[in-house]
Amino acid sequence: MTAGGLNAHGRRAAGLSAVRRIARARRSLVAAAVARALLLAVLAALLVLATGLVVDTFVGLPLEARRWLVPLALAVGAAALARTALGPVRAAVRATDESVALWFETRLPSLRYALVTSVDARYAGTVPALERIADEAPLEREIASASRTALMRPALAVGAIALGLLLMPPMAMGRITAPTAGDALGRMRTDARAAADPLATIVAHVTPPAYAGMDAVAYDEPSTIAALVGSRVRIEGRGTGVRAVVGGTTGSGASSAGATDITRADTLDAREADGAWSVTLPFPPVARAVRLLGPARDRVLVLDPIADTVPLVQLELPVRDSVLRAAQGRVPLRATVRDDHGLARAAFEYIVSTGAGETFTFRNGTVGEQRFGRGARTATLEGVLVLDTLGLKGGDLIHVRAVGADRNDVTGPGLGVSETRTLRIARADEYDSVSVDPMPPTEPEKNAMSQRMILQMTEELVARQPRISEATLTDESRRIAREQVRLRKRVGEVVFQRLGEDGGEHSHFAGDGHEHGTEGPLNPDQILAAAEAASNAGATRMLESEGDESPIVAINRPLLEAYNHMWRAATELETARPHQAIPWMERAIEALQRARAAERIYLRGRPPRVVVDVAKVRGTGKDTGSSSEREARAPADPARAERLARFDVALGIVQRDASAAADSLLLLRLTVPEDDAAAARALDAAASQLRSGGDVTEALARARRALAGAPVRRSTLGPWGR
Amino acid sequence: MADFIFATVQYDSGDWDSAPLVPANVIDSIARYTSIDVQPTGVIVPLGSRDLFRYPLAYLTGHLPVRFSEPERTTLREYCARGGLLFVDDHNHDIDGEFHRTAWEEIARAVGPLKDLPNDHALYRAFFEFEDGPPTTSHELNGWGDNLVHKHLQCVMNGDRIAVLYSSKDYSSEWNYHPDNKRFLSVDNTRFSVNLVAYALTR
Repeated sequence: MTAGGLNAHGRRAAGLSAVRRIARARRSLVAAAVARALLLAVLAALLVLATGLVVDTFVGLPLEARRWLVPLALAVGAAALARTALGPVRAAVRATDESVALWFETRLPSLRYALVTSVDARYAGTVPALERIADEAPLEREIASASRTALMRPALAVGAIALGLLLMPPMAMGRITAPTAGDALGRMRTDARAAADPLATIVAHVTPPAYAGMDAVAYDEPSTIAALVGSRVRIEGRGTGVRAVVGGTTGSGASSAGATDITRADTLDAREADGAWSVTLPFPPVARAVRLLGPARDRVLVLDPIADTVPLVQLELPVRDSVLRAAQGRVPLRATVRDDHGLARAAFEYIVSTGAGETFTFRNGTVGEQRFGRGARTATLEGVLVLDTLGLKGGDLIHVRAVGADRNDVTGPGLGVSETRTLRIARADEYDSVSVDPMPPTEPEKNAMSQRMILQMTEELVARQPRISEATLTDESRRIAREQVRLRKRVGEVVFQRLGEDGGEHSHFAGDGHEHGTEGPLNPDQILAAAEAASNAGATRMLESEGDESPIVAINRPLLEAYNHMWRAATELETARPHQAIPWMERAIEALQRARAAERIYLRGRPPRVVVDVAKVRGTGKDTGSSSEREARAPADPARAERLARFDVALGIVQRDASAAADSLLLLRLTVPEDDAAAARALDAAASQLRSGGDVTEALARARRALAGAPVRRSTLGPWGR
Repeated sequence: MADFIFATVQYDSGDWDSAPLVPANVIDSIARYTSIDVQPTGVIVPLGSRDLFRYPLAYLTGHLPVRFSEPERTTLREYCARGGLLFVDDHNHDIDGEFHRTAWEEIARAVGPLKDLPNDHALYRAFFEFEDGPPTTSHELNGWGDNLVHKHLQCVMNGDRIAVLYSSKDYSSEWNYHPDNKRFLSVDNTRFSVNLVAYALTR
């Protein structure tokens, strides 16, 4: 550094004190450090992407792995930024004017500590000669020099890598920066591989039918493609000389095992352009195999159609079939309609049938029709059936159902219908006779409860009593009381029937509460009086002392007691005091037990001796008479056995030719029945695994198990199971 | 190894022989579903006899009140301590019935108090799987007993093994038919007896 140089820079910095120049220099140094950190972060991120690109070129990264590359690059860049920026920023914050001045002094020894001295507050302005030297120091030039040195290499590295990446084919870069399904052909060196084998890499693009409103999807290296019937599938790859055989097997040394059951074949030549081939096919209505024939090998993939389901229609109103007394009024109708891809229209349909015997006439019509725009998948349909306008008369039947149609214009439209409700108009003479339509008893009538059940309900209510409101307690207690009353009436009927001796006639016994000589059947009040008398100790003594107690009386007495206890229990329940009802219920149970004990007769005797023929039961006994020679039974499911045999043949070529084995499995998959989806999936997975390489043992074992079917566990004896 | 022999317990009180066809039916099921060597007929063993110790599973049922004599009580206690399994079934299926009350008292006095057996106990998977615990019988709601569907069987445990298994489900009525008539059933209702035998022989 020369004195002249010092003077020149000093002139440029004229007007600024040394302290302010140091402060500005410190900011410039921090900015340079941050810029370097940014460059290094970008460099790290670009290195990750470049590494991914190289690996993908040679190995072929799967889609899932490629989806993580950009986030990984950003994370690495952020980490590098944090690591490289943190130190300089922290140093800048901690740095003092003196330390920055010293940094300059080490780079400009000619200053001879003039700069350090001039920024020192103790000597500021005391030595003008030193101030002048400091003012003339070329600080800005030193900063520029240091910044250039620090930024040059990272910038060059970033530029070189960025340039390299920009020069890569856009599709190859797209596989790294924006990976999507169907970008397998964008991988670098695909053309080189395709020259030897055009079927090495294939991609399928599926365009669903327009009515479905679905986006097109793509598949890399597909084994099986599932799509709606009516979709169009375009299979493409690099290279030339490819033909496709749909649903058939031809030529070129088919090495796949068991590919003989595909009978009808349509051969298509692939369209070729720009070093690539493509085959476009409509999606078939049934599963078909597409055999791609290349110069080096064949490859099979399966088109597995997905059926468009018909709309699901549920009729909500009217809720049940019904009989209407008069043909007037309005019947509200409501239904819900759902479809998987879109509804077109829905309506209520009705049919009126008139007549009797062998003469019927029918009229039909629709009500509440709605049409839907694109994208409507669920709808609620409402309408009204105005009976007055239908010209109905007694005995007519109206059948109502809801129907919905989807937008399927390829195999449809699919028409879904709800269940049908029938409304009948009653005939005028129907109410003058006993001819009524039978119907099941109502639910409460069917649920007769035992005293033990009622007791359990009451105990549960008492347990819950502290946690429920007074109103709830009253409601539930009264509900149990109704059950109790119902049971009491049943007991009363039994007693009444017995006292009446065969239906209506009645007899008398001591203590039954019935005055002798009085005619007519016992009414409930009289039964109650009898029950009270029966449970009364004095009455009991009288009964026992009368001496004319018949077995009927012996049975009825505890029943009458039970009747009485039930009455008390019901009374307590009616007044929402369930805890006080429990003792009465227990007494009622105890009385019922005594009634049962009085009625039961246990027969005793020598038990029969039964000798079980164990050999006969096990089917292992000796044959008697002459036996014919026996042969092993045929397999229960010969088609399944054949599939297993084909699978085993395919297994035999796995080691030799994995691709052919995968083709065999895919062709075998086409023979799997529709209801055995698990086996189909397992075969697809095994074929995919074979194509992608690696250990296929587990996938093949799973496919074998699925083909063999799960063992059927029978919980019942067979029809010949004796 | 000796053949399995189904033993019916004879006790002095009550009607121990109220379900005479149950043994043959259980033996038939053992032969039908398992390869256990089984004797074609069962035996009747007095509860007070030490012969009881020869049988890993013993079956006791009845309708009437049960009162064990002191020798019966002592034998039962020792039988359970030695690893035997006594299966007691209330032929009344009535928790207010005399058999139930007295049998519980006697079992408590001889072996210990009964408690609910969890419905996921190994007994219910010993051979057939009964995911909901003890299978219900067609007799539980027939109007004769307590008209309850009992959710659990009860037991007295000897360590981790069942010593006494008590049922209010009336398997005695459910299984009391000639085994030849099984062919009329869509579901064999004696399968649970196979679990009982398998449990008694393997645990």
